[in-house]
Amino acid sequence: MVGAEGLRTFYLIARREFMTRVRSRFFLVGTAVLMVLMAGYIVLQALVLSRATTTVDVGFVRATQALAEPLKTVAATESLNVKTHVVSDVATGDGQVESGRLDVLVSGDPASPDVTVKDDLNPTLAAALSGLVKQVALDEAIVASGANSSVIDAKVAAARIHLLVLDPNAAVRTQRQVVGIFVAVLLYVALVIYGQLVASGVVEEKSNRIIEILLSTVRPRQLLFGKVVGIGLMGFLQLLLLGAVGLIAATQTHVIDVPSVGMTAVLGALLWFVLGFTFYALIFAAGGSLVSRQEDLGAVTGPISMLIVGTYLAFFWVAANPSNPLGVLLSMLPPFAPMLMPARMATGDAQAWQVLVALVLMIGGIAAMNWLAARIYSNSVLRVGSRVKLMEAWRGRQ
Amino acid sequence: MAGGLEVRGVTKRYGELVAVRDLELEVRPGEVFGFVGSNGAGKTTTMRIVLGVLVADAGQVLWADSPIGFGTRRRIGYMPEQRGLYPKMRIGEQLRYLAQLHGTSSADASAAARRWLDRFGLADRAGDEVIKLSHGNQQRVQLAAALVFDPVLLILDEPFAGLDPEAVDSMSEVLHERAAAGVPVVFSSHQLDLVERICDRVGIIQRGHLVACGTIDELRGRGPRRLWVDAPAAPPGWAAALPGVSVDRVDGTRALLKLDASVDDQDVLRVALATGPVREFRRDQPSLLDVFREAMSETRVVAAS
Repeated sequence: MVGAEGLRTFYLIARREFMTRVRSRFFLVGTAVLMVLMAGYIVLQALVLSRATTTVDVGFVRATQALAEPLKTVAATESLNVKTHVVSDVATGDGQVESGRLDVLVSGDPASPDVTVKDDLNPTLAAALSGLVKQVALDEAIVASGANSSVIDAKVAAARIHLLVLDPNAAVRTQRQVVGIFVAVLLYVALVIYGQLVASGVVEEKSNRIIEILLSTVRPRQLLFGKVVGIGLMGFLQLLLLGAVGLIAATQTHVIDVPSVGMTAVLGALLWFVLGFTFYALIFAAGGSLVSRQEDLGAVTGPISMLIVGTYLAFFWVAANPSNPLGVLLSMLPPFAPMLMPARMATGDAQAWQVLVALVLMIGGIAAMNWLAARIYSNSVLRVGSRVKLMEAWRGRQ
Repeated sequence: MAGGLEVRGVTKRYGELVAVRDLELEVRPGEVFGFVGSNGAGKTTTMRIVLGVLVADAGQVLWADSPIGFGTRRRIGYMPEQRGLYPKMRIGEQLRYLAQLHGTSSADASAAARRWLDRFGLADRAGDEVIKLSHGNQQRVQLAAALVFDPVLLILDEPFAGLDPEAVDSMSEVLHERAAAGVPVVFSSHQLDLVERICDRVGIIQRGHLVACGTIDELRGRGPRRLWVDAPAAPPGWAAALPGVSVDRVDGTRALLKLDASVDDQDVLRVALATGPVREFRRDQPSLLDVFREAMSETRVVAAS
């Protein structure tokens, strides 16, 4: 049965799979929770990443009062917030440092002040203070020598360093790496969870015997692909929602400064999800067709999940050694490519030809798996009872 | 044969085990056919072969005088022995879905789903999941699932198992209705009294082979004739002396006689009357259960049809 009628059957099956799952609590609650978690994680990331500005309470006696404003200005350029306090005398100031109301007390001669702390001086503040004190000393010396201090100050102020950045993309690369890890984790979770859904969907039809009714009107292949596509679309929708939330949250909080980095990562992840899911879902479906009860499912999906876990672990090795030829090779081979290639694409390590080779091999792998899974599925899906041996399923002895 | 279903010489092996051997069967339009046999006799296998869910090793299935194709098979209403529905799907939606899978248009599928739920008194449960229904109601939905796309042939595996008498009546009513509309109906059952009551014709299958097939009357008329004769004045052993007559059982003054085909029962009556009064002279009609037991006890019986 090919043509319009066959397509209609396929569409009906895929639509049922999609609709029943999208309306399920698993999808609605799961997606909402994941979206909140994702946004929360990114916001948290943003808080950790943003340089925390510390505030230091500094006390000045009358003699050192002149240092207060310049210190505040200099410290601010180093992301240090200085809060100045006026202290009536040294004894009071010492007491306040002792009690913790002040972090630092500056007293004595402005050119060589006494700096009192309880135990430790903030290094940024120390550098700012000593620079300031040297400036004061210099000004005094210039005035004493009779030269025009304002002219010299202007010259000093005009002196600049010239910044030459040899690796301007380092920041972008870090972001890409973070995004790459994120993509790999997301794909890993998606492949394992949605793959399991396919397998348990196959077993569900077997265990409650609706499979007999279905197969009296539908070809096994239509049922297999309808299920894979229906569940795949649900997964795609969920990833799309998560990707959108992630992208918006990440750019809004400036975790990712370059929207194009995130955009390519999300698009790459979605493309490879479609390919990887199709590949693994077919394996999961064939595996599911071997057993008749949900309780026995673990025995067949375990090894498949292990393969995905293995790929996931390989990702970290590849991420740490982006130029290792073995990693490059693995990232182009079908069982590994769905996770390694999008991650390498996100980090910017993958070259165009490698992506192309990986795509071609992946599509070939799906075609091969399609043939293999359809055969195993057709031969074993009606067999009820103990687990069907893989070789029997392959030979199709009934 | 004009129309209907024919199974011709079908054989199915599972390795060493022969599940169905050279099976011959026909079910005419408008007929309710009962398929009887012990567990593992091959009823379900035969049904699955007709449905195309299993492939026979030999023989063929004909529909309207030509080999049955996928187009016809899609129009078979099937109720598997192990009930099969999506437990977490709403029943209205489920019936609509199954109707569409069997080729019904979307609008017709909705109307048919409503009609059958209405018919089985489940109209207000359309939004409920299958799992929330009682066993009897699940069974009704299962039958509705086989009927919802207006099938050309109905194949029901143990449709009456576990039903209360009321449900049995309403279900058999539906089956006869469909048969009256020209649909051949095949169902299997262990409940022989039920089969006797509902079926037009019965086939008895044993170890994958059809050992008897015919109308209820044909089957009951098969085998040796038996007579109950009550001749109180007759000396013991009066009947056994007659050629071709043996005594099966004696119950007081009554005797159950088994007659060979050559024996004229009127001769027996004359001999009995010669001994004195005859209070009872009655043909013993075996029940379907008797026929079934007899068929099971004989290792080989040539198919009656």
